[in-house]
Amino acid sequence: MTETATIAPPLRGVLSHWLRRQPLAPWLYLAPAAAALIVWIYAPLGYALWLSFHEWNMLPFASIRSVGTQNYERLLELPEMGQALRNTLVYLVGLLPLTVVLPVAAAILTHELKGRWRNIYRGLIFVPLIIAPVAAAAVWRWILDPDFGLLNTGLKALGLEPLRFLQDPDLTIWSIIWITGWKLIGFSTLIVSASLANINPSLIEAARMDGASEWQVTRRIRLPLLSPVIFLLILLTILLGAQWSFTYIHVLTQGGPLGTSNNIYYLLWQFGFGGLAAGWASAAGIILFAGFGLVAVALLWLMNKVTFHDN
Amino acid sequence: MTTDVAAHRPAAGWLAHAVMMPLAFVSIFPVWWMFVTSLRPENDIYSRLPWPSAPTLDNYAYAIQAIPVWAMLWNTLVYSALATAAQLLTAILAAYAFARWRFLFDRALFALIALTWLVPFQVVMIPNYVLVSQMGLIDTIAALVVPNLASAFAILLLVQSMRSFPSEVIEAAHMDGAGHWRILWRILVPNLRAPLAALAILLFISSWNDYFWPLLLTRSERSTVIQIGIQMFLTEEGNQWGPLMAISSLACLPVLALYAVLQRQVIDSFVKAGLK
Repeated sequence: MTETATIAPPLRGVLSHWLRRQPLAPWLYLAPAAAALIVWIYAPLGYALWLSFHEWNMLPFASIRSVGTQNYERLLELPEMGQALRNTLVYLVGLLPLTVVLPVAAAILTHELKGRWRNIYRGLIFVPLIIAPVAAAAVWRWILDPDFGLLNTGLKALGLEPLRFLQDPDLTIWSIIWITGWKLIGFSTLIVSASLANINPSLIEAARMDGASEWQVTRRIRLPLLSPVIFLLILLTILLGAQWSFTYIHVLTQGGPLGTSNNIYYLLWQFGFGGLAAGWASAAGIILFAGFGLVAVALLWLMNKVTFHDN
Repeated sequence: MTTDVAAHRPAAGWLAHAVMMPLAFVSIFPVWWMFVTSLRPENDIYSRLPWPSAPTLDNYAYAIQAIPVWAMLWNTLVYSALATAAQLLTAILAAYAFARWRFLFDRALFALIALTWLVPFQVVMIPNYVLVSQMGLIDTIAALVVPNLASAFAILLLVQSMRSFPSEVIEAAHMDGAGHWRILWRILVPNLRAPLAALAILLFISSWNDYFWPLLLTRSERSTVIQIGIQMFLTEEGNQWGPLMAISSLACLPVLALYAVLQRQVIDSFVKAGLK
Protein backbone atom coordinates (compact mmCIF):
# COMPACT_ATOMS: atom_id res chain seq x y z
CA MET A 1 0.00 0.00 0.00
CA THR A 2 2.64 2.50 1.03
CA GLU A 3 4.69 1.47 -1.93
CA THR A 4 1.99 2.25 -4.46
CA ALA A 5 1.28 5.50 -2.67
CA THR A 6 4.84 6.65 -3.05
CA ILE A 7 5.16 5.48 -6.65
CA ALA A 8 1.80 6.65 -7.87
CA PRO A 9 2.22 10.45 -7.83
CA PRO A 10 5.39 10.61 -9.94
CA LEU A 11 3.98 7.95 -12.25
CA ARG A 12 0.82 9.96 -12.70
CA GLY A 13 2.93 13.02 -13.32
CA VAL A 14 4.90 11.28 -16.03
CA LEU A 15 1.76 9.92 -17.58
CA SER A 16 -0.06 13.22 -17.67
CA HIS A 17 3.02 15.00 -18.91
CA TRP A 18 3.35 12.43 -21.66
CA LEU A 19 -0.35 12.67 -22.49
CA ARG A 20 -0.08 16.44 -22.75
CA ARG A 21 2.73 16.05 -25.23
CA GLN A 22 0.50 13.92 -27.44
CA PRO A 23 -0.84 15.96 -30.34
CA LEU A 24 -4.60 16.38 -30.39
CA ALA A 25 -4.85 16.97 -34.12
CA PRO A 26 -4.59 13.33 -35.34
CA TRP A 27 -7.50 12.40 -33.10
CA LEU A 28 -9.62 15.13 -34.61
CA TYR A 29 -8.80 13.97 -38.12
CA LEU A 30 -9.50 10.40 -37.16
CA ALA A 31 -12.73 11.11 -35.30
CA PRO A 32 -15.31 10.93 -38.13
CA ALA A 33 -14.09 7.61 -39.52
CA ALA A 34 -13.53 6.15 -36.06
CA ALA A 35 -16.97 7.20 -34.90
CA ALA A 36 -18.61 5.60 -37.93
CA LEU A 37 -16.70 2.34 -37.50
CA ILE A 38 -17.41 2.21 -33.77
CA VAL A 39 -21.11 2.90 -34.17
CA TRP A 40 -21.68 0.57 -37.12
CA ILE A 41 -19.16 -2.21 -36.60
CA TYR A 42 -17.56 -2.50 -33.17
CA ALA A 43 -20.54 -1.55 -31.02
CA PRO A 44 -22.80 -3.88 -33.06
CA LEU A 45 -20.25 -6.63 -32.63
CA GLY A 46 -20.51 -6.19 -28.86
CA TYR A 47 -24.29 -6.00 -29.06
CA ALA A 48 -24.36 -9.20 -31.15
CA LEU A 49 -22.24 -10.92 -28.53
CA TRP A 50 -24.70 -9.82 -25.85
CA LEU A 51 -27.72 -10.82 -27.95
CA SER A 52 -26.23 -14.25 -28.52
CA PHE A 53 -26.91 -15.07 -24.86
CA HIS A 54 -30.51 -13.91 -25.11
CA GLU A 55 -33.77 -14.78 -26.75
CA TRP A 56 -35.60 -12.10 -28.71
CA ASN A 57 -37.98 -12.17 -31.66
CA MET A 58 -36.86 -8.73 -32.90
CA LEU A 59 -40.19 -7.00 -32.34
CA PRO A 60 -39.58 -3.59 -30.71
CA PHE A 61 -41.73 -4.18 -27.63
CA ALA A 62 -41.11 -7.87 -27.14
CA SER A 63 -39.11 -8.72 -24.06
CA ILE A 64 -35.52 -9.93 -24.27
CA ARG A 65 -34.87 -12.98 -22.14
CA SER A 66 -31.51 -14.22 -20.95
CA VAL A 67 -30.89 -17.84 -21.90
CA GLY A 68 -27.22 -18.36 -21.07
CA THR A 69 -25.31 -20.45 -23.59
CA GLN A 70 -28.44 -22.24 -24.80
CA ASN A 71 -28.35 -20.58 -28.25
CA TYR A 72 -24.86 -21.86 -28.85
CA GLU A 73 -25.65 -25.36 -27.64
CA ARG A 74 -28.74 -25.69 -29.78
CA LEU A 75 -26.98 -24.28 -32.82
CA LEU A 76 -24.12 -26.70 -32.61
CA GLU A 77 -26.60 -29.58 -32.35
CA LEU A 78 -28.66 -28.38 -35.31
CA PRO A 79 -28.78 -30.94 -38.14
CA GLU A 80 -28.62 -28.15 -40.78
CA MET A 81 -25.48 -26.80 -39.16
CA GLY A 82 -23.45 -29.84 -40.10
CA GLN A 83 -24.66 -29.74 -43.69
CA ALA A 84 -24.03 -25.99 -43.97
CA LEU A 85 -20.52 -26.40 -42.59
CA ARG A 86 -19.73 -29.22 -45.01
CA ASN A 87 -21.11 -27.15 -47.87
CA THR A 88 -19.04 -24.15 -46.79
CA LEU A 89 -15.99 -26.38 -47.13
CA VAL A 90 -17.15 -27.54 -50.58
CA TYR A 91 -17.60 -23.90 -51.60
CA LEU A 92 -14.07 -23.04 -50.51
CA VAL A 93 -12.43 -26.04 -52.13
CA GLY A 94 -14.52 -25.57 -55.27
CA LEU A 95 -13.62 -21.91 -55.53
CA LEU A 96 -9.86 -22.35 -55.20
CA PRO A 97 -9.36 -23.65 -58.78
CA LEU A 98 -11.26 -20.64 -60.11
CA THR A 99 -9.76 -17.97 -57.88
CA VAL A 100 -6.20 -19.31 -57.57
CA VAL A 101 -5.15 -22.20 -59.84
CA LEU A 102 -6.61 -20.97 -63.12
CA PRO A 103 -5.55 -17.33 -62.61
CA VAL A 104 -1.97 -18.33 -61.76
CA ALA A 105 -1.79 -20.60 -64.81
CA ALA A 106 -3.36 -17.96 -67.07
CA ALA A 107 -1.07 -15.21 -65.79
CA ILE A 108 2.08 -17.30 -66.27
CA LEU A 109 1.06 -18.47 -69.75
CA THR A 110 0.27 -14.94 -70.87
CA HIS A 111 3.01 -12.93 -69.20
CA GLU A 112 4.71 -12.27 -72.53
CA LEU A 113 1.65 -10.56 -73.92
CA LYS A 114 2.30 -6.84 -74.30
CA GLY A 115 0.79 -3.69 -75.72
CA ARG A 116 -2.65 -3.27 -77.20
CA TRP A 117 -3.84 -6.86 -76.92
CA ARG A 118 -2.84 -7.03 -73.31
CA ASN A 119 -4.92 -3.94 -72.52
CA ILE A 120 -7.91 -5.27 -74.44
CA TYR A 121 -7.86 -8.59 -72.60
CA ARG A 122 -7.32 -6.87 -69.27
CA GLY A 123 -10.28 -4.62 -69.89
CA LEU A 124 -12.54 -7.55 -70.81
CA ILE A 125 -11.68 -10.06 -68.10
CA PHE A 126 -12.24 -7.42 -65.43
CA VAL A 127 -15.87 -6.81 -66.40
CA PRO A 128 -17.52 -9.61 -64.35
CA LEU A 129 -16.19 -8.08 -61.14
CA ILE A 130 -18.04 -4.80 -61.59
CA ILE A 131 -21.32 -6.34 -62.76
CA ALA A 132 -23.95 -6.17 -60.00
CA PRO A 133 -24.24 -9.57 -58.30
CA VAL A 134 -28.01 -9.59 -58.68
CA ALA A 135 -27.70 -8.88 -62.41
CA ALA A 136 -25.08 -11.62 -62.71
CA ALA A 137 -27.43 -14.00 -60.93
CA ALA A 138 -30.22 -13.06 -63.34
CA VAL A 139 -28.08 -13.62 -66.44
CA TRP A 140 -26.77 -16.95 -65.22
CA ARG A 141 -30.23 -18.12 -64.33
CA TRP A 142 -31.23 -17.37 -67.92
CA ILE A 143 -28.18 -19.11 -69.39
CA LEU A 144 -28.62 -22.13 -67.07
CA ASP A 145 -32.40 -22.40 -67.52
CA PRO A 146 -33.35 -26.10 -67.81
CA ASP A 147 -35.73 -25.62 -70.75
CA PHE A 148 -34.60 -22.68 -72.85
CA GLY A 149 -31.20 -21.75 -71.46
CA LEU A 150 -28.32 -21.38 -73.89
CA LEU A 151 -26.22 -24.04 -72.21
CA ASN A 152 -28.91 -26.68 -72.32
CA THR A 153 -29.73 -25.83 -75.93
CA GLY A 154 -26.08 -26.54 -76.62
CA LEU A 155 -26.21 -29.84 -74.73
CA LYS A 156 -29.34 -30.88 -76.62
CA ALA A 157 -27.73 -29.96 -79.93
CA LEU A 158 -24.89 -32.31 -79.02
CA GLY A 159 -27.44 -35.04 -78.34
CA LEU A 160 -27.00 -34.89 -74.55
CA GLU A 161 -29.61 -34.78 -71.82
CA PRO A 162 -30.33 -31.24 -70.57
CA LEU A 163 -29.07 -30.58 -67.04
CA ARG A 164 -31.06 -28.92 -64.28
CA PHE A 165 -28.17 -26.74 -63.13
CA LEU A 166 -30.01 -24.85 -60.41
CA GLN A 167 -32.55 -27.51 -59.45
CA ASP A 168 -30.64 -30.78 -59.32
CA PRO A 169 -29.40 -31.40 -55.73
CA ASP A 170 -26.13 -32.80 -57.09
CA LEU A 171 -25.43 -29.85 -59.37
CA THR A 172 -26.73 -26.74 -57.64
CA ILE A 173 -23.77 -26.08 -55.38
CA TRP A 174 -21.39 -26.38 -58.34
CA SER A 175 -23.46 -23.94 -60.38
CA ILE A 176 -23.30 -21.41 -57.54
CA ILE A 177 -19.56 -22.00 -57.19
CA TRP A 178 -19.13 -21.38 -60.89
CA ILE A 179 -21.09 -18.12 -60.81
CA THR A 180 -19.14 -16.93 -57.75
CA GLY A 181 -15.86 -17.89 -59.41
CA TRP A 182 -16.83 -16.37 -62.76
CA LYS A 183 -16.85 -12.95 -61.12
CA LEU A 184 -13.34 -13.42 -59.75
CA ILE A 185 -11.23 -15.28 -62.35
CA GLY A 186 -10.31 -12.15 -64.29
CA PHE A 187 -9.59 -10.07 -61.21
CA SER A 188 -7.34 -12.74 -59.71
CA THR A 189 -5.54 -13.13 -63.04
CA LEU A 190 -4.84 -9.40 -63.12
CA ILE A 191 -3.44 -9.46 -59.59
CA VAL A 192 -1.13 -12.38 -60.38
CA SER A 193 -0.06 -10.69 -63.64
CA ALA A 194 0.82 -7.50 -61.80
CA SER A 195 2.84 -9.49 -59.32
CA LEU A 196 4.63 -11.36 -62.15
CA ALA A 197 5.52 -8.07 -63.79
CA ASN A 198 7.26 -7.06 -60.56
CA ILE A 199 9.71 -9.95 -60.75
CA ASN A 200 13.20 -8.74 -61.50
CA PRO A 201 13.86 -9.84 -65.13
CA SER A 202 17.58 -10.28 -64.51
CA LEU A 203 16.78 -13.28 -62.28
CA ILE A 204 15.07 -14.99 -65.19
CA GLU A 205 17.75 -13.94 -67.67
CA ALA A 206 20.41 -15.39 -65.41
CA ALA A 207 18.56 -18.69 -65.13
CA ARG A 208 18.18 -18.84 -68.92
CA MET A 209 21.91 -18.23 -69.32
CA ASP A 210 22.47 -21.25 -67.13
CA GLY A 211 20.37 -23.24 -69.56
CA ALA A 212 17.16 -23.45 -67.52
CA SER A 213 14.11 -24.52 -69.51
CA GLU A 214 10.91 -22.46 -69.47
CA TRP A 215 9.32 -24.98 -67.11
CA GLN A 216 12.30 -24.82 -64.75
CA VAL A 217 12.19 -21.02 -64.74
CA THR A 218 8.51 -21.16 -63.82
CA ARG A 219 8.94 -23.90 -61.26
CA ARG A 220 12.07 -22.54 -59.56
CA ILE A 221 11.74 -18.78 -59.93
CA ARG A 222 8.27 -17.57 -60.83
CA LEU A 223 6.19 -19.76 -58.56
CA PRO A 224 8.31 -19.15 -55.43
CA LEU A 225 8.27 -15.41 -56.09
CA LEU A 226 4.52 -15.52 -56.61
CA SER A 227 3.96 -17.31 -53.31
CA PRO A 228 2.93 -14.18 -51.38
CA VAL A 229 0.24 -13.28 -53.90
CA ILE A 230 -0.89 -16.90 -54.18
CA PHE A 231 -1.26 -17.02 -50.42
CA LEU A 232 -3.16 -13.76 -50.47
CA LEU A 233 -5.65 -15.18 -52.99
CA ILE A 234 -6.04 -18.37 -50.96
CA LEU A 235 -6.57 -16.29 -47.83
CA LEU A 236 -9.19 -14.09 -49.50
CA THR A 237 -10.99 -17.11 -50.94
CA ILE A 238 -11.10 -18.95 -47.62
CA LEU A 239 -12.15 -15.91 -45.62
CA LEU A 240 -14.58 -14.38 -48.09
CA GLY A 241 -15.59 -17.20 -50.44
CA ALA A 242 -18.66 -18.23 -48.47
CA GLN A 243 -19.68 -14.60 -48.24
CA TRP A 244 -19.26 -13.95 -51.96
CA SER A 245 -21.63 -16.77 -52.83
CA PHE A 246 -24.25 -15.37 -50.45
CA THR A 247 -26.11 -13.22 -52.98
CA TYR A 248 -26.27 -16.02 -55.54
CA ILE A 249 -27.59 -18.49 -53.01
CA HIS A 250 -30.21 -16.01 -51.88
CA VAL A 251 -31.35 -15.00 -55.33
CA LEU A 252 -31.07 -18.35 -57.10
CA THR A 253 -31.63 -21.25 -54.71
CA GLN A 254 -32.37 -20.01 -51.16
CA GLY A 255 -30.01 -22.74 -50.04
CA GLY A 256 -32.03 -25.48 -51.73
CA PRO A 257 -32.86 -27.98 -52.99
CA LEU A 258 -32.93 -29.70 -49.59
CA GLY A 259 -30.21 -27.46 -48.24
CA THR A 260 -27.67 -28.80 -50.74
CA SER A 261 -26.44 -25.33 -51.69
CA ASN A 262 -26.76 -23.81 -48.23
CA ASN A 263 -23.66 -22.46 -46.57
CA ILE A 264 -22.95 -21.17 -43.11
CA TYR A 265 -23.54 -17.55 -44.03
CA TYR A 266 -26.85 -18.21 -45.65
CA LEU A 267 -28.02 -20.41 -42.79
CA LEU A 268 -27.33 -17.48 -40.50
CA TRP A 269 -29.42 -15.19 -42.64
CA GLN A 270 -32.31 -17.64 -42.54
CA PHE A 271 -32.11 -17.85 -38.76
CA GLY A 272 -32.00 -14.12 -38.19
CA PHE A 273 -34.55 -12.91 -40.67
CA GLY A 274 -36.45 -16.00 -41.75
CA GLY A 275 -37.14 -17.16 -38.22
CA LEU A 276 -36.91 -13.74 -36.50
CA ALA A 277 -34.64 -15.34 -33.91
CA ALA A 278 -32.13 -12.62 -33.12
CA GLY A 279 -30.41 -14.65 -30.38
CA TRP A 280 -29.78 -17.63 -32.61
CA ALA A 281 -28.61 -15.51 -35.51
CA SER A 282 -26.23 -13.55 -33.28
CA ALA A 283 -24.83 -16.72 -31.74
CA ALA A 284 -24.25 -18.15 -35.21
CA GLY A 285 -22.63 -14.86 -36.25
CA ILE A 286 -20.28 -14.91 -33.29
CA ILE A 287 -19.34 -18.52 -34.00
CA LEU A 288 -18.57 -17.49 -37.58
CA PHE A 289 -16.58 -14.46 -36.59
CA ALA A 290 -14.54 -16.40 -34.06
CA GLY A 291 -14.06 -19.34 -36.43
CA PHE A 292 -13.00 -17.27 -39.40
CA GLY A 293 -10.88 -15.05 -37.16
CA LEU A 294 -8.92 -18.09 -35.95
CA VAL A 295 -8.54 -19.34 -39.51
CA ALA A 296 -7.27 -15.90 -40.56
CA VAL A 297 -4.69 -15.76 -37.76
CA ALA A 298 -3.52 -19.30 -38.56
CA LEU A 299 -3.23 -18.52 -42.28
CA LEU A 300 -1.35 -15.28 -41.72
CA TRP A 301 1.07 -17.09 -39.45
CA LEU A 302 1.52 -19.80 -42.07
CA MET A 303 1.94 -17.17 -44.78
CA ASN A 304 4.84 -15.57 -42.96
CA LYS A 305 6.47 -18.98 -42.49
CA VAL A 306 6.05 -20.39 -45.97
CA THR A 307 6.14 -17.57 -48.49
CA PHE A 308 9.32 -16.61 -50.21
CA HIS A 309 10.47 -13.01 -50.55
CA ASP A 310 12.60 -11.52 -53.29
CA ASN A 311 14.48 -9.03 -51.13
CA MET B 1 13.50 -7.83 -72.03
CA THR B 2 10.74 -10.33 -72.01
CA THR B 3 9.63 -9.08 -75.43
CA ASP B 4 13.03 -10.14 -76.77
CA VAL B 5 12.43 -13.60 -75.45
CA ALA B 6 8.99 -13.68 -77.01
CA ALA B 7 10.54 -12.70 -80.34
CA HIS B 8 12.75 -15.76 -80.14
CA ARG B 9 9.78 -17.99 -79.55
CA PRO B 10 6.83 -16.85 -81.66
CA ALA B 11 4.76 -19.79 -80.37
CA ALA B 12 4.56 -18.11 -76.95
CA GLY B 13 2.48 -15.24 -78.36
CA TRP B 14 -0.06 -17.66 -79.81
CA LEU B 15 -0.19 -19.57 -76.56
CA ALA B 16 -1.02 -16.35 -74.73
CA HIS B 17 -3.86 -15.62 -77.14
CA ALA B 18 -5.07 -19.20 -76.89
CA VAL B 19 -5.37 -18.75 -73.10
CA MET B 20 -6.69 -15.21 -73.02
CA MET B 21 -9.30 -15.48 -75.76
CA PRO B 22 -11.44 -18.13 -74.05
CA LEU B 23 -11.01 -16.35 -70.73
CA ALA B 24 -12.10 -13.03 -72.19
CA PHE B 25 -14.98 -14.75 -73.99
CA VAL B 26 -16.24 -16.45 -70.84
CA SER B 27 -15.96 -13.14 -68.95
CA ILE B 28 -17.80 -11.01 -71.43
CA PHE B 29 -20.28 -13.34 -73.10
CA PRO B 30 -22.90 -13.51 -70.29
CA VAL B 31 -22.96 -9.70 -70.20
CA TRP B 32 -23.34 -9.57 -73.97
CA TRP B 33 -26.10 -12.19 -73.83
CA MET B 34 -27.92 -10.08 -71.23
CA PHE B 35 -27.97 -7.05 -73.54
CA VAL B 36 -28.87 -9.12 -76.60
CA THR B 37 -31.78 -10.83 -74.85
CA SER B 38 -33.03 -7.51 -73.51
CA LEU B 39 -33.29 -6.17 -77.07
CA ARG B 40 -35.17 -9.13 -78.55
CA PRO B 41 -38.93 -8.95 -79.22
CA GLU B 42 -41.03 -11.32 -77.12
CA ASN B 43 -41.69 -13.83 -79.93
CA ASP B 44 -37.95 -14.07 -80.59
CA ILE B 45 -36.78 -14.38 -76.98
CA TYR B 46 -35.56 -17.98 -77.39
CA SER B 47 -33.51 -17.13 -80.47
CA ARG B 48 -29.96 -18.44 -80.40
CA LEU B 49 -28.50 -15.80 -82.68
CA PRO B 50 -25.64 -13.99 -80.93
CA TRP B 51 -27.21 -10.62 -81.84
CA PRO B 52 -30.79 -9.31 -81.87
CA SER B 53 -32.21 -9.76 -85.36
CA ALA B 54 -34.94 -7.14 -84.92
CA PRO B 55 -33.87 -5.01 -81.95
CA THR B 56 -36.67 -3.41 -79.95
CA LEU B 57 -36.98 -1.57 -76.64
CA ASP B 58 -40.27 -3.32 -75.78
CA ASN B 59 -38.75 -5.16 -72.83
CA TYR B 60 -37.48 -1.89 -71.37
CA ALA B 61 -40.89 -0.29 -71.82
CA TYR B 62 -42.50 -3.27 -70.10
CA ALA B 63 -40.11 -3.14 -67.13
CA ILE B 64 -40.60 0.61 -66.75
CA GLN B 65 -44.38 0.33 -66.52
CA ALA B 66 -44.22 -2.70 -64.21
CA ILE B 67 -42.05 -1.14 -61.50
CA PRO B 68 -40.86 2.44 -60.83
CA VAL B 69 -37.52 1.98 -62.58
CA TRP B 70 -36.64 5.68 -62.79
CA ALA B 71 -37.27 6.27 -59.09
CA MET B 72 -35.15 3.22 -58.29
CA LEU B 73 -32.30 4.36 -60.51
CA TRP B 74 -32.48 7.82 -58.95
CA ASN B 75 -32.43 6.35 -55.44
CA THR B 76 -29.44 4.18 -56.34
CA LEU B 77 -27.64 7.21 -57.73
CA VAL B 78 -28.36 9.34 -54.65
CA TYR B 79 -27.36 6.57 -52.28
CA SER B 80 -24.14 5.75 -54.16
CA ALA B 81 -23.15 9.40 -54.54
CA LEU B 82 -23.76 10.20 -50.86
CA ALA B 83 -22.03 7.07 -49.59
CA THR B 84 -19.06 7.67 -51.89
CA ALA B 85 -18.72 11.31 -50.84
CA ALA B 86 -18.94 10.43 -47.15
CA GLN B 87 -16.48 7.54 -47.42
CA LEU B 88 -14.01 9.67 -49.36
CA LEU B 89 -14.21 12.50 -46.85
CA THR B 90 -13.80 10.36 -43.74
CA ALA B 91 -11.03 8.36 -45.42
CA ILE B 92 -9.08 11.46 -46.50
CA LEU B 93 -9.15 12.82 -42.95
CA ALA B 94 -8.31 9.52 -41.27
CA ALA B 95 -5.58 8.67 -43.76
CA TYR B 96 -3.98 12.06 -43.16
CA ALA B 97 -3.88 11.36 -39.42
CA PHE B 98 -2.09 8.04 -39.99
CA ALA B 99 0.24 9.31 -42.68
CA ARG B 100 1.29 12.51 -40.89
CA TRP B 101 1.55 11.78 -37.17
CA ARG B 102 2.84 9.18 -34.80
CA PHE B 103 0.51 9.12 -31.83
CA LEU B 104 -0.54 6.98 -28.90
CA PHE B 105 -1.99 3.64 -30.08
CA ASP B 106 -1.68 4.60 -33.74
CA ARG B 107 -0.68 1.10 -34.80
CA ALA B 108 -3.39 -0.50 -32.72
CA LEU B 109 -6.00 1.84 -34.19
CA PHE B 110 -4.78 1.13 -37.69
CA ALA B 111 -5.07 -2.60 -37.02
CA LEU B 112 -8.57 -2.14 -35.61
CA ILE B 113 -9.62 -0.37 -38.79
CA ALA B 114 -8.06 -3.07 -40.97
CA LEU B 115 -9.77 -5.73 -38.85
CA THR B 116 -13.23 -4.48 -39.73
CA TRP B 117 -12.74 -6.51 -42.91
CA LEU B 118 -12.99 -9.66 -40.86
CA VAL B 119 -16.35 -8.76 -39.37
CA PRO B 120 -18.95 -10.47 -41.53
CA PHE B 121 -21.91 -8.35 -42.51
CA GLN B 122 -24.22 -11.04 -41.16
CA VAL B 123 -22.84 -10.61 -37.64
CA VAL B 124 -23.59 -6.91 -37.37
CA MET B 125 -26.72 -6.82 -39.50
CA ILE B 126 -29.19 -7.34 -36.66
CA PRO B 127 -27.73 -4.69 -34.33
CA ASN B 128 -27.46 -2.29 -37.26
CA TYR B 129 -31.03 -2.98 -38.29
CA VAL B 130 -32.17 -2.28 -34.73
CA LEU B 131 -30.19 0.96 -34.63
CA VAL B 132 -31.50 2.20 -37.96
CA SER B 133 -35.08 1.45 -36.97
CA GLN B 134 -34.60 3.23 -33.64
CA MET B 135 -33.43 6.25 -35.61
CA GLY B 136 -36.70 6.05 -37.52
CA LEU B 137 -34.94 5.73 -40.85
CA ILE B 138 -36.39 2.46 -42.18
CA ASP B 139 -37.52 2.83 -45.77
CA THR B 140 -35.44 5.93 -46.48
CA ILE B 141 -32.29 6.53 -48.49
CA ALA B 142 -30.63 7.89 -45.33
CA ALA B 143 -30.97 4.41 -43.79
CA LEU B 144 -28.76 3.06 -46.56
CA VAL B 145 -26.18 5.82 -46.24
CA VAL B 146 -25.63 6.07 -42.47
CA PRO B 147 -24.10 2.62 -41.94
CA ASN B 148 -21.73 3.35 -44.84
CA LEU B 149 -20.12 6.61 -43.77
CA ALA B 150 -16.63 5.14 -43.47
CA SER B 151 -14.83 2.49 -45.47
CA ALA B 152 -11.80 0.65 -44.07
CA PHE B 153 -10.72 -0.20 -47.63
CA ALA B 154 -10.66 3.51 -48.57
CA ILE B 155 -8.67 4.44 -45.48
CA LEU B 156 -6.04 1.73 -46.02
CA LEU B 157 -5.67 2.63 -49.68
CA LEU B 158 -5.29 6.35 -49.01
CA VAL B 159 -2.79 5.88 -46.18
CA GLN B 160 -0.62 4.07 -48.72
CA SER B 161 -0.81 6.84 -51.30
CA MET B 162 -0.33 9.63 -48.74
CA ARG B 163 2.70 7.90 -47.22
CA SER B 164 4.33 7.60 -50.62
CA PHE B 165 3.79 11.30 -51.34
CA PRO B 166 7.15 13.17 -51.28
CA SER B 167 7.56 14.60 -47.80
CA GLU B 168 9.82 17.45 -49.03
CA VAL B 169 6.85 19.10 -50.69
CA ILE B 170 4.89 18.96 -47.45
CA GLU B 171 7.85 20.20 -45.40
CA ALA B 172 8.28 23.13 -47.78
CA ALA B 173 4.63 24.09 -47.39
CA HIS B 174 5.05 23.76 -43.65
CA MET B 175 7.97 26.21 -43.78
CA ASP B 176 5.77 28.67 -45.62
CA GLY B 177 3.44 28.60 -42.64
CA ALA B 178 0.72 26.36 -44.07
CA GLY B 179 -1.27 24.51 -41.41
CA HIS B 180 -2.31 20.87 -41.60
CA TRP B 181 -5.76 21.64 -42.89
CA ARG B 182 -4.34 23.74 -45.70
CA ILE B 183 -1.64 21.22 -46.57
CA LEU B 184 -4.22 18.45 -46.77
CA TRP B 185 -6.70 20.25 -49.02
CA ARG B 186 -4.38 22.49 -51.04
CA ILE B 187 -1.46 20.14 -51.62
CA LEU B 188 -2.25 16.50 -50.89
CA VAL B 189 -5.76 16.24 -52.26
CA PRO B 190 -5.09 18.05 -55.58
CA ASN B 191 -1.93 16.03 -56.12
CA LEU B 192 -3.62 12.74 -55.31
CA ARG B 193 -6.40 13.40 -57.82
CA ALA B 194 -5.74 10.20 -59.79
CA PRO B 195 -5.84 7.70 -56.90
CA LEU B 196 -8.74 9.60 -55.35
CA ALA B 197 -10.72 9.43 -58.60
CA ALA B 198 -10.06 5.71 -58.95
CA LEU B 199 -11.03 5.12 -55.34
CA ALA B 200 -14.21 7.16 -55.81
CA ILE B 201 -15.18 4.97 -58.75
CA LEU B 202 -14.59 1.77 -56.80
CA LEU B 203 -16.63 3.05 -53.86
CA PHE B 204 -19.38 4.22 -56.18
CA ILE B 205 -19.55 0.89 -58.00
CA SER B 206 -19.65 -1.10 -54.79
CA SER B 207 -22.46 1.06 -53.37
CA TRP B 208 -24.31 0.90 -56.67
CA ASN B 209 -24.16 -2.91 -56.57
CA ASP B 210 -25.19 -3.10 -52.93
CA TYR B 211 -28.05 -5.46 -52.43
CA PHE B 212 -28.38 -6.66 -48.86
CA TRP B 213 -28.70 -3.40 -46.98
CA PRO B 214 -31.41 -2.16 -49.31
CA LEU B 215 -33.16 -5.51 -49.04
CA LEU B 216 -33.18 -5.23 -45.25
CA LEU B 217 -33.90 -1.56 -44.85
CA THR B 218 -36.33 -0.54 -47.56
CA ARG B 219 -39.94 -1.53 -47.77
CA SER B 220 -41.69 0.19 -50.65
CA GLU B 221 -40.96 0.05 -54.37
CA ARG B 222 -40.58 3.81 -54.62
CA SER B 223 -37.90 4.10 -51.97
CA THR B 224 -35.69 1.19 -52.94
CA VAL B 225 -32.76 0.72 -55.30
CA ILE B 226 -32.46 -0.84 -58.74
CA GLN B 227 -30.90 -4.07 -57.44
CA ILE B 228 -34.12 -4.82 -55.58
CA GLY B 229 -35.97 -4.07 -58.83
CA ILE B 230 -34.05 -6.88 -60.54
CA GLN B 231 -34.92 -9.16 -57.68
CA MET B 232 -38.64 -8.37 -58.09
CA PHE B 233 -38.50 -9.75 -61.61
CA LEU B 234 -36.45 -12.72 -60.50
CA THR B 235 -38.89 -13.86 -57.87
CA GLU B 236 -42.02 -13.38 -59.95
CA GLU B 237 -43.90 -16.48 -60.99
CA GLY B 238 -42.80 -17.62 -64.42
CA ASN B 239 -39.74 -16.21 -66.05
CA GLN B 240 -40.09 -13.07 -68.11
CA TRP B 241 -36.61 -13.25 -69.52
CA GLY B 242 -36.90 -10.18 -71.74
CA PRO B 243 -37.91 -7.67 -69.04
CA LEU B 244 -35.59 -9.34 -66.52
CA MET B 245 -32.64 -8.87 -68.86
CA ALA B 246 -33.80 -5.31 -69.64
CA ILE B 247 -33.80 -4.24 -66.01
CA SER B 248 -30.51 -6.04 -65.36
CA SER B 249 -29.02 -4.16 -68.31
CA LEU B 250 -30.33 -0.87 -66.94
CA ALA B 251 -28.72 -1.63 -63.59
CA CYS B 252 -25.38 -2.45 -65.23
CA LEU B 253 -25.24 0.30 -67.85
CA PRO B 254 -24.18 3.21 -65.61
CA VAL B 255 -21.41 1.15 -64.03
CA LEU B 256 -20.22 -0.16 -67.40
CA ALA B 257 -20.26 3.34 -68.88
CA LEU B 258 -18.18 4.65 -65.98
CA TYR B 259 -15.84 1.72 -66.42
CA ALA B 260 -15.53 2.24 -70.17
CA VAL B 261 -14.42 5.84 -69.67
CA LEU B 262 -11.99 5.27 -66.80
CA GLN B 263 -11.08 1.65 -67.44
CA ARG B 264 -7.34 1.85 -66.98
CA GLN B 265 -7.43 3.80 -63.71
CA VAL B 266 -10.05 1.44 -62.30
CA ILE B 267 -8.03 -1.67 -63.12
CA ASP B 268 -4.78 -0.18 -61.89
CA SER B 269 -6.15 0.87 -58.54
CA PHE B 270 -8.02 -2.41 -58.05
CA VAL B 271 -4.93 -4.42 -58.79
CA LYS B 272 -2.77 -2.22 -56.61
CA ALA B 273 -5.25 -2.56 -53.78
CA GLY B 274 -5.17 -6.31 -54.23
CA LEU B 275 -1.39 -6.44 -54.16
CA LYS B 276 -1.16 -4.70 -50.82
